[in-house]
Amino acid sequence: RSFTSQTDGEARVTRVLREKFPRASAIRVVDISGGCGAMYEIHIESEDFKEKRTVQQHQMVNQALSEEIKSMHGLRIFTSTPKP
Amino acid sequence: AGGAEGGGAEGGGAAGSGSREAVERLVRAHPVVVFMKGSPAQPLCGFSNAVVQILRLHGVEDYRAHDVLQDPDLRQGIKNYSNWPTIPQVYLNGEFVGGCDILLQMHQNGDLVEELKKLGIRSALLDAKKDQDKK
Repeated sequence: RSFTSQTDGEARVTRVLREKFPRASAIRVVDISGGCGAMYEIHIESEDFKEKRTVQQHQMVNQALSEEIKSMHGLRIFTSTPKP
Repeated sequence: AGGAEGGGAEGGGAAGSGSREAVERLVRAHPVVVFMKGSPAQPLCGFSNAVVQILRLHGVEDYRAHDVLQDPDLRQGIKNYSNWPTIPQVYLNGEFVGGCDILLQMHQNGDLVEELKKLGIRSALLDAKKDQDKK
């Protein structure tokens, strides 16, 4: 995987997710609004999502990002649990 | 609860179209209820359009759709009700299921067919499928 530089927004959202999901095994935040910070795609893999319905997993991410979401136009969330 | 209310926070007890009671009535009015931008005939957002298209694929044309762009109180009220910050929102049998990404996932993994079956709705995809190609 090549290392591409993040936007400030991507870095901030990633940092918040790392803080709120310390057990996450993978976090990837992509600004899909062309760098405008208007829309993000979030991929997060964590043990925290085990045994939870998708909508509950997404709610956890919504709660974690409740401040950041206020300034977003939209977001897409993709949650998963680590493969055994 | 109570205390400080910031901009855009829920307005509480007013019996407007965004009140908990009003939203509750809407989500329970029909087995399939969608809060979206625009209408099924003319969605005004790509994610709302995706929900309409997925339902159409399953042959679900009879459902309640509410255009939140027409009603700012409802637009905020539905977000408060579900504690979910974005539109579209899909409710099956009065229960919040998720937005466009979740509906898409349910469509792809077969869950949507099952959930519709629970509502007594036979997905059109069951009739379209000739070979079951399960991996």
